[in-house]
Amino acid sequence: MPDVQPLVSDFVLKLKRRKVEGSHAVARQTAELLRSVVSQHRMGNTNQAAALADAIRAVGEHLIAANPIELAVGNIVRRVLHIIKEEDISSTAVGIEGLSVTAVSDDEYDSGNDDRPTLSAAVLASHARNTLRAPSLQTLLDDIPVSTALSHSASSAGDSDGKTGDKSLKTRKLKHDVIAAIGDLIEEIDTCYDQISEQAVELIHQNEVILTLGRSRTVKEFLYAAKEKKRSFRVFVAEGAPRYQGHVLAKELVEKGVQTTVITDSAVFAMISRVNMVIVGAHAIMANGGVIAPIGMNMVALAAQRHAVPFVVVAGSHKLCPLYPHNPEVLLNELKSPSDLLDFGEFSNCMNFSTQDGTPLLDVVNPTFDYVPPKLVSLFVTDSGGHSPSYIYRLISEYYSADDLGVRRMSSS
Amino acid sequence: MSQKKSRGGASAGDDADELSRSPLQAVLLADSFTLKFRPITLERPKVLLPLVNVPMIDYTLSWLETSGVEEVFVFCCAHAQQVKEHLQDAGWTGKPAAREMAVKTVESHDAISAGDALRVMYGRGVINGDFILISGDTISNMSLKDALQEHKDRRKKDPLAVMTMIIKQSKPSVLTQQTRLGNDEIVMAIAPETKELLYYEDRADASHLCVTIDKDILASNPTLQLHNNMEDCYIDICSPEVLSLFTDNFDYQHLRRHFVKGLLVDDIMGYKIYTHEIHSSYAARVDNFRSYDTVSKDIIQRWTYPMVPDVLSFGNCHEMKLHRQGIYKAADVTLSHSAHIGANSVIGNGTNIGEQCKVSNSVIGEGCSIGKNVLIHGSYIWDNVIIEDGCKVSNSLVCDDVHLRAGAVVEPGCILSFKIKVGKNVVVPAYSKVSLLEKPSNEDSDEELEYADTNSAVTDSPPFSSMRNNADHPTVESEDEDLGASETGTSGVLGYIWASGDTGTQEEWRQSIAPIPKEKLQELQHAIAVDDADGSEEDLNNRLREADHDNDSEISVVEDDDYTKFEKEVEETFQRALDGVHQDNLILEINALRLSYSLQHADCAGAVFYSIMRSALVAAQSTTESLLKATADALTKWRDLLRNYTKTVDEEMEILLKFEEMCQDITKEFSALFSKILPYLYDKELVSEDAILRWAEEKANADESDKVFVKQSDAFIQWLKEAEEEEDEDEEE
Amino acid sequence: MAMELDAAQNPNPNPDPPISAYYQTRADHHAVVSSDWLAHAAAAASSVTDTDADAAPPPSPGGNGGGVIEEFNMWRRKPEAAEAVAAIMALTAVIRSSRATTMMELEIELKKASDKLKSWDATSISLSAACDLFMRFVTRTSHLEHEKFDAAKSRLIERGEKFGEISLKARKTIAMLSQDFILDGCTMLVHGYSRVVLEILKLAASNRKLFRVLCTEGRPDRTGLRMSNEIAALGIPVKVLIDSAVAYSMDEIDMIFVGADGVVESGGIINMMGTYQIALVAHSMNKPLYVAAESYKFARLYPLDQKDMTPAHRPIDFGVPVPAGVEIETSARDYTPPQYLTLLLTDLGVLTPSVVSDELIQLYL
Repeated sequence: MPDVQPLVSDFVLKLKRRKVEGSHAVARQTAELLRSVVSQHRMGNTNQAAALADAIRAVGEHLIAANPIELAVGNIVRRVLHIIKEEDISSTAVGIEGLSVTAVSDDEYDSGNDDRPTLSAAVLASHARNTLRAPSLQTLLDDIPVSTALSHSASSAGDSDGKTGDKSLKTRKLKHDVIAAIGDLIEEIDTCYDQISEQAVELIHQNEVILTLGRSRTVKEFLYAAKEKKRSFRVFVAEGAPRYQGHVLAKELVEKGVQTTVITDSAVFAMISRVNMVIVGAHAIMANGGVIAPIGMNMVALAAQRHAVPFVVVAGSHKLCPLYPHNPEVLLNELKSPSDLLDFGEFSNCMNFSTQDGTPLLDVVNPTFDYVPPKLVSLFVTDSGGHSPSYIYRLISEYYSADDLGVRRMSSS
Repeated sequence: MSQKKSRGGASAGDDADELSRSPLQAVLLADSFTLKFRPITLERPKVLLPLVNVPMIDYTLSWLETSGVEEVFVFCCAHAQQVKEHLQDAGWTGKPAAREMAVKTVESHDAISAGDALRVMYGRGVINGDFILISGDTISNMSLKDALQEHKDRRKKDPLAVMTMIIKQSKPSVLTQQTRLGNDEIVMAIAPETKELLYYEDRADASHLCVTIDKDILASNPTLQLHNNMEDCYIDICSPEVLSLFTDNFDYQHLRRHFVKGLLVDDIMGYKIYTHEIHSSYAARVDNFRSYDTVSKDIIQRWTYPMVPDVLSFGNCHEMKLHRQGIYKAADVTLSHSAHIGANSVIGNGTNIGEQCKVSNSVIGEGCSIGKNVLIHGSYIWDNVIIEDGCKVSNSLVCDDVHLRAGAVVEPGCILSFKIKVGKNVVVPAYSKVSLLEKPSNEDSDEELEYADTNSAVTDSPPFSSMRNNADHPTVESEDEDLGASETGTSGVLGYIWASGDTGTQEEWRQSIAPIPKEKLQELQHAIAVDDADGSEEDLNNRLREADHDNDSEISVVEDDDYTKFEKEVEETFQRALDGVHQDNLILEINALRLSYSLQHADCAGAVFYSIMRSALVAAQSTTESLLKATADALTKWRDLLRNYTKTVDEEMEILLKFEEMCQDITKEFSALFSKILPYLYDKELVSEDAILRWAEEKANADESDKVFVKQSDAFIQWLKEAEEEEDEDEEE
Repeated sequence: MAMELDAAQNPNPNPDPPISAYYQTRADHHAVVSSDWLAHAAAAASSVTDTDADAAPPPSPGGNGGGVIEEFNMWRRKPEAAEAVAAIMALTAVIRSSRATTMMELEIELKKASDKLKSWDATSISLSAACDLFMRFVTRTSHLEHEKFDAAKSRLIERGEKFGEISLKARKTIAMLSQDFILDGCTMLVHGYSRVVLEILKLAASNRKLFRVLCTEGRPDRTGLRMSNEIAALGIPVKVLIDSAVAYSMDEIDMIFVGADGVVESGGIINMMGTYQIALVAHSMNKPLYVAAESYKFARLYPLDQKDMTPAHRPIDFGVPVPAGVEIETSARDYTPPQYLTLLLTDLGVLTPSVVSDELIQLYL
C-alpha cells in the first residue's frame, strides 16, 4: 500500500485540478492505478478478498471525491470490486467442493454426519452466486450472512488442509486472477471503440443524413468505420458552443472524405427534418437509461423526438454508471469558467462591484453537461451491442454488484 | 561581462538546453509590505486571510504547482511563525514525496520591503535560473507556459530582457478612475510589436488627466500604445539579474515604483522589461479591501476555475456543493426552513443559520452560529462567528470569533477584527475599523513598512475592559450609550476603534469592502459636471469615449480621438508656457507632440490657436468687452507662435475652421465676438484675406446652420472682397 | 379439515362487503375518523352479526383452517406490522402447529391455509403477494435443499418469524435509498397514509434536509390528515390540500411520493384512490413520481384496466344524505399504469417499472 500512495495522491490531484478529463482517459488511468494497488497489496492470511476490496474502496473513495462529476472513476472502482468478488467466489467454490469431497471420504461410516457439510456447501454456493446479483425477491427470505459464512468456510478449508504452502498458492492465485481480470477490463476500455464501430454499418445506411453535436471520439470512430465500409452518407455537425469541438470533428471528418456540414447549435431544429438519424456521444449513461451528455444535447434530443428521428447514443461500457441521476442538471454538472463565453476584459466594467451596490449584475453560467431523460433516447450502442434505455439496468446488474453502489457508505460503516 | 559574452557566444542549441534543464523556481512574498489590511494584519499575516474560506497563500501555491514550478521560496517576514505553521498544516511543506513542488521558507525579520526581501534572496544564492516573482495574495489560473516560452525566447535573442510582466485588460471606472480592484488606474506605454514596456505610472494624477512621457521614448519608438485599461497582475517572470539589480541599487524598495520605474527611467545598463497580456485566464492580486471583495466575487462567479470552492484541490477545506444561482453549501450546514440564502453566497461547514435569516452575496465561514432574523448582505464572515438574533451586517468584514449580540448593526465598510464583541443594539458606524489592538502610535509616514511591530504581537487575552474611554481612541459605546447601556449594562464594543474620520476618508470609501455610496457617486458625477462648466468637457468626452470604446489608444492610427488627445496635450504644454517656459521650447515640444501623434502642421495650428483662445477665456472676466480685450492680448502675445504654424493658406483656413467650431460648441462665449475677432486676426496677419475668402466660399454651399458665422462677418468679408478688387484694380492700373 | 373450512364460522365479517377487509385493516392502522365511519358502516352493514372488526376474534374452533385467519387477524391489528407480515406470521403458525411429517404434506397443508387466507380477503394484494412469496420460499427450500424435514421445518419457522424484522428493514432500506431523491428546497406531494413514505420523510428530516410537503386530504377517510399530523410532528412544513386541488398546486411541486398497496407485474401500482389521477397530472406537467414500496408487495397480477381487479369497497360519508336512487362509487383503490411512474424505490434497489416484471418472472418461473 505505501508504495502506491504517491501514485494515488498524484492521480487524485490530477483529477481535482481537472487535468485529466474525458471518460476514456479517466477510466483507463483509474483501472491502471487500481491494478497497481492490487499488485502492491500485501495479502493477509484470512479474508483476503474482503481486505483487498477494502483497500480498493479506500482508494476509490478518494478518487471519487476528487472529481465526483467524472463518473467513470466510480464506475471503474465498482467494476474492480465486482471483479474481486467474482474471482473470490470462483476460488472458494472450488475450495468448498474439495472440502465436501474430503468430508465425504473421511466420514464414510457416519452418514448422518456427512449430510450436513455437503448440504451447507451447496447452500453456500447458491448464496455465493446470489451475492453477485442484486437483492431480489428470491433472496428476500433466505437471508444468511453470506460473507461471514464464506470466510468461515474458506478459513476452515485452510485449517483442514493445514498446509501453508497451499494457502499461499491460493492467495497468489486470487491476486493473480484479479490482476488479470483488471487487465481484461483495461483491454476492454481500449477496444471499446472498435467494438462499437463494428456496428456502424448496420445502423448507417446508404445516403443517410446523420446529425451529431460537438465532438466525441466514439462518434468519430463510428462514422469512420461506416465510411471505411464504403457507406456514403452526409453528416451535419452542430458546433457545440462554447467549446466548439464540432469544428474539430468537422475537420477530422473531411480529412476522411465524409460530406460534412457545420451548423450552429441553434440551427438544430431547423435542420432536423432533413436528418435520418442523430448519433451522439455521452459523458455517462445512468442506471435509469438517462444520459449525461455535453451541453445542448437535450435540445437535440427534443428536436429529434419532435420529428421522430432516431436518437442513438454511442458509448463504451465504462460510461455505464449504476447510479440514478438526482437533480442531474445541478448535481452532476460542472460549471466552468465564464471566460469560455465572454472576454473578461471587455466586460470588466460590468463587474465593477464598487459602483453596483455590491450586487453582481452580470452572471455568466457555463455548464458542461446536459441531462437527456431516457424517454428521449431511442437506442444505446455499447461494446456489447445495441440496447434500449429500459434494458440498461440489466447491463448494469451484469457489470456491478449491488452492494458496491455506495462505495463510500460501505467503507465508512 | 566577459562571462556573459562567452555565454552569448555559445550555440543556440546549448542555450536552449540549459534553459530547459534548470528547474523552474518561484519566489513568493508572504508579506505585502503595506498597511492596507490593518488592523487585521496586526494579528494574522495577510497571506493567511481567508478568501472564500481558503487562505490566500493556498491559492497562490496551488497555482504555482499547477504551472509546473518545482521549487518555491516563501519569503516570510511579519508573523513568519504563523505562515510556517500554516504551510506545515496545509501539507505544503514537510511531505517531500507527496508533492511535485518543493516549498521552502526563507525567514527574515529585517526586511521592510519587497526590495529587502529580494536582496535577502540574492544573499542566499538559491536562485539560479529564471524565476517567478509573485506575492502570496495573487489568485490566478493562467497557464504560464506561453509566457515562459516568450520570456525564454526573448532572452535568447536579447539577454537584456530581464523581466516579463503579466498584464490583463480591465476597464477602470469612469467616475472614480479606479480599477475594479480599487487601485488607481495604471498608465502603461507598450511597444505594440515587441511588447516592451516603455512607461509605467501607477500614480497617474487623475485630476490633471495628463501623463508625461519622456521624449526619448517617443523618439526611439516609432509606435507605442498607451494603455489605461490594463491591470498589473503582479506576476513577474524574472531573470536572475533582477536579484542582482536589487542588490546593486540598494535603495530600491517597491517592485513597481522603484524597480520598474527605475529601470525604465534610468535606463540601467539597457535592461528591458516586457509584458505579456492574458485574455481568457484570470489573474488578480488582493491588494486592499476593495479587491478582497472583488476577487471573492470573481471566485464565486467562477472566473478562477478550477480554483472555485466546489473544486478546490488544496487546503483542509470541506467539500462544497454548488447549487443554482451560485450558492455554495458545505455538507454539514444547518439551515432553518425559513432562512433564505440569496445568490452568490458561500456557507461554510458546521454553520448554523436560524429562522427568517436573509443572506445574500456573502461568504460565511465555518462553525458560525447565526440567530434569527439576521440580515447579512455583501459581507465576509470568517470562522466561528456568533451573530445573535436580529443583527444586521452589510458590506463588512467580520473576522474569526467575533460576537455580535442581539440587535447589533454593522454598517457598510466596517472591519471587525478578531474576537471583537459588539453589545446589544449597538450600531457600528460605517467604515469603522475595530480591533482589540491599539493603533500603533508611531505612525511612519513611509508606506513601505511591515505591518506589525514585533512588540505589538498577538496577545491571547488582551487586558481591555469593555468600557474604554481613551481620548485618542474613542470607542463606540460613548456614542451609543443611550441605546444600549440601559438594556445591557455592558454595551458597546470591546476594543479600539481605529480613527477613520480625519485621515484618508478618501481612501476609506474608495478601497473598502462596501460599494461606493450613492451620494459619493453623485458627487463624482457632479464634479465632472462642474468640470464641464469650466470648459473641460472635452476631456471628459475624451475619457468617456475612451471608456466606451476600446480603451486602446493607438497612436499610430490617426483618429479623432488622437486629435483630441493631441489637442489636450498641446493645451497642457501651452499652459506650462504661460507659466514661463520659453517660446522656442514650446515650439519644440509642440513639434515633438505633432510627430508622435503624426499629425499635420495644420492640426498644430488649430490646436495652438485653440489653446490660445482658451487661455484668453480663462484670463477674461465675464463681460464680453473684457473677453475681447483678453483675446486681443493673447493673440498679440502669441502671434509669433501661431505664425510658426500658419505658413500656408490651408493652415490659416484650419484656424478659421477651428475658431468657428469653438464658437459653435465648446466655447460659446466667443460666438458673439466672432465678427469682431476675425478682423483682428486679419490685422495681426494671422489669417490672410485669401484664407478668409476661401473659407467664405466653402461655406457658401453649406447648410444654413453652418453659415451663421459667415453671415455674422458678412460685412467684413464684403469689405475684404472690395479691397481685393481695388487691389486688382490697382494692379491693373 | 375440509369440513372446517367450509364451516359457517368463516370469520370474515363482510362476505359481501360494502366494507372490505382490506379497508378494515387500513382503518385499524391509520384512520383518523375511523370510529365515526365504522359506526356508520356497522349500521349500514347490519347484516353482519357474528364478528366486528373491532371485537376480539372469536375463540378458535380448533384446527388449522380457522387458526390461520385468527392468527392473521391478531397480527394485522399490530400498529407497526404490515399486512404481509401478518400473513406470513399466520402461515408460520400453521407450520409450527402442523403435524405433517414430510415436506410434501407440509406444503399441501400450507397451500390450503394460504388459499384460505387469500380467499378470506380477495381484495388485499399484499396479503396474496406475501402468501405467494412464502409458498415459493417453502417450495424452493424443499426442492433445492435435501435437508432433513425437521431442520427444514425449523428453518422455515425461523425465517417466517424473522419476517417482521425483514419488513422493518425493508422500510429502512427504502428510506435510505430515497434520500438522494429529496433535494434541498424542494416541495413534494404525498398521497395517502404510507408507513414507508413516512419513514422516508423521517429520515430526511433527521438528515436536516430542507423541504416542504403538500399532503392530500385523502377523502373519504382523511388519511392525509393523519399523515400531515405526523409530518408536522417531524418539524417539516406541511400543507394539506383537498384531493381535487392537486392539479392546481402541481406547478409548485417538484416531486411526488406515494406508497403502494401492491406492485403488479406490468410495473404499475395499485394504490389508494386518486393515485392514478395524480400520476396523470404529474406526467402531463413533467414532474417525477416515485413509488416507495417494499418488495413483498410485488404481486402476480396483471390488471389491464381499472376494473380488472377485485374492487375493494369502502363507505363514503358525504356529510349530507345521499339522494335516493343515486349510485355511489365506493372503490378504494385504483391502478396506475407503469408509464406514469418514474421510479420505484424498493428494498431491492431503485427500480424502473420494467424491472419489476423481470423480478417477478425470475421468482415464479
